[in-house]
Amino acid sequence: MMSEAMQFDAIVVGSGISGGWAAKELTEAGLKVLMLERGQDIPHQTGYETEMKTPWEMPFRGSGDAERWARDHPVQMLNRHFTEYTENHFVNDRENPYQTGASTDFNWFRSYNLGGRSLTWGRQSYRWSDYDFGANKRDGNGTDWPLRYADLAPWYDKAEEFIGVSGAAEGLPQLPDGKFLPPWDLNPVEQAARERIRSRWSDRVLTIGRTANLTRPINGRGQCQARSICARGCSYGAYFSTQSSTLPAAQATGNLTLVTDAVVERVDYDAARGRVTGVRWVNRKDGTRTSATARMVFLNAGSFNSVHLMLNSANEAMPNGLANSSGVLGTHIMDHASTLSAMAIMPGFENVTTFGNRPTGVVIARYRNMDDMDGVGHTRGYSYQGGALQSGWTRGKREAGVGTAYKESLQPPGPWQVVLVAFADCVPRATNRLTLHPTQTDAHGIPQLKIDFAFGAEELAALAQAKEDAAQMLTQAGGHVVMGFDRPGAGGSAIHEMGGARMGWDPATSVLNRFSQAHDIPNLFVTDGAQMSSSACQNPSLTYMALTARAADHAVGLLKQGLI
Amino acid sequence: MTDTSTQKTGWDRRDFLGGAALLALAIGVPVAAVSLSDLDEKDAPSERQRTMMTQVSQAVLPRTDTAGAGEVGTGDFVILALAHGLDGTREPAGSAEMPWAFPEYRRRDGSLRYVSWLEHELDRRANGDFVRRSPRDHIRILTELDKEAFAEGNDTHPWRKVKGLILTGYYTSQVGGSEELRFELVPGRYDSSLPMGPDTRSWSSDWTAVEFG
Repeated sequence: MMSEAMQFDAIVVGSGISGGWAAKELTEAGLKVLMLERGQDIPHQTGYETEMKTPWEMPFRGSGDAERWARDHPVQMLNRHFTEYTENHFVNDRENPYQTGASTDFNWFRSYNLGGRSLTWGRQSYRWSDYDFGANKRDGNGTDWPLRYADLAPWYDKAEEFIGVSGAAEGLPQLPDGKFLPPWDLNPVEQAARERIRSRWSDRVLTIGRTANLTRPINGRGQCQARSICARGCSYGAYFSTQSSTLPAAQATGNLTLVTDAVVERVDYDAARGRVTGVRWVNRKDGTRTSATARMVFLNAGSFNSVHLMLNSANEAMPNGLANSSGVLGTHIMDHASTLSAMAIMPGFENVTTFGNRPTGVVIARYRNMDDMDGVGHTRGYSYQGGALQSGWTRGKREAGVGTAYKESLQPPGPWQVVLVAFADCVPRATNRLTLHPTQTDAHGIPQLKIDFAFGAEELAALAQAKEDAAQMLTQAGGHVVMGFDRPGAGGSAIHEMGGARMGWDPATSVLNRFSQAHDIPNLFVTDGAQMSSSACQNPSLTYMALTARAADHAVGLLKQGLI
Repeated sequence: MTDTSTQKTGWDRRDFLGGAALLALAIGVPVAAVSLSDLDEKDAPSERQRTMMTQVSQAVLPRTDTAGAGEVGTGDFVILALAHGLDGTREPAGSAEMPWAFPEYRRRDGSLRYVSWLEHELDRRANGDFVRRSPRDHIRILTELDKEAFAEGNDTHPWRKVKGLILTGYYTSQVGGSEELRFELVPGRYDSSLPMGPDTRSWSSDWTAVEFG
């Protein structure tokens, strides 16, 4: 049992993508670090219970118990990575409630376990550019980012070299190249689409997804085996997760203390010194309460949970929430507006097939609203992710047939098809916000989070244009478009929820400064998605990693100078 | 374990055990796997229904150079899957959307008892006892039903769901997944372009293909 007197140099709340990075960077700098994880321990390799299971070894053949899911996982089951194999890597919605506003449709996907969502993430790893860091300043929405690409570039280098990102250099200013491992190959349909699209629109580049799956071994981790069942956990350590990458590095220093099943409910604050002093947590198994002190605290609980913790840590000196003198804590939350823009059947490739499961699709980089403001009804960007695939046996569910000929018709791979899913930049709005619910609490008596969120006219306009563009591009690529949508999925569907403790230049209008450090409290850092001031249209995780490494470096410097 | 004696004489036991336990008993899975909140004795399959579902599975995907669906236990899988609502089969079946959902085949929660519906429907089409008809008759009767179900505008026809679950049961079985199709859990590499001929079998372990169909 931990004692009340635990003292550390730093406490990291959360063990996901950014928490693992914070722990690694701080321990490697020589700090004694306590990392707290609210969920269960899932040890690398031995904890991946379903990793090697075949469908016929599973009670519901991989499809899962829909009846139980409807009861225990009504939100999580909507995540495409949620399967019978991976359900233990997601929360029980019944036991982890949250509230939404009357007009809010928001699905909050969560993994409360060691590694957080690093275990189940989509692994797409993109740099943001100055089209993104300059977006708020340019169109006046939100507040200006207090940094630019040049500030972050070396930290992107560091993040990519450590986690291993495969990708193809394309020289695109809106999607800067990185320190890439060899790319996965485009299949012939994608290669043809790339060429045909570019022949008509020189600024539209279809390239292989940049993914944190190793195309060759690095740092003692194995090469990707092309299984594409990553969310089960990977014993090869072939994709980036806390377990495969940052945790072993942090543990190797001898400076890390890891406590799981620890639901942090409060960050302690010393008003006289103007510093946070540590955190308090509840053991989710037995309800006991514990605390620890440290010279600095890093919040990496996940965008919404870090904000939740700050709101719940209000005190006499800070009655509206920790580090919330600006009053903007909880506001300007975002998630990419996403939808299936187009699906097309691609004739002419009946003689080719593939082997193995490539763990990434393709991306078409943003091309709207860069140097020409050519968006219709919107001022930002969208990009597409998707790919070409051959249909499998499940196509038989849509086809008439009974008997031998029907069975034989399902034996070969089916027609090639291409899917393009658009991800549109989400404008930061004050009305999209997180608050503590005034009356509803969770099993530990902690107020539940309330989410108010809606997409606006900008996102709807972007997806409408994205649908039109996607149909044109796939037609140009030789396809027959069979469907496409322009309405976004519910908020949260992109699983890129961010914002709520935004960075900014001005302490009066932002929570964090350019080093992810609270304006109000110099020894408090928030380096997960909560810090984001805008959303871009790329996946944000790599940026969280780079910002975390940068913030940790800054924090260590301040500590060494005796400033915190 | 299958204890057929309880099926024939076990009304007392049936009441005691409840539908979930009886279903577990009938198709040989742990009771814990069938812990349903709204399953009653009507969901416990009779031996006749199990036979019927096996025959139906076999007719849809018969023996070719690999075993058919009925031979590899797909019938019982479909019964389990329907009881647990896979592929949306425990959703309320409004009569407007699903005119086939006669009141006598509906559960308290409004969902359709697909197995009972199918039993009735096939017996009707067989002018008697479907189970006693020949495999050739089974295919003929099911082909007619299938044609109707997949006609335009019949998107909610319950046969579509049953057939879909037969496919799931078969292609996720060891025979269906790794003999009829190919299965490789650890490909080890990705080849982006390989020649394909008429005899190329697809990979049941191509998860993206399975997901997007």
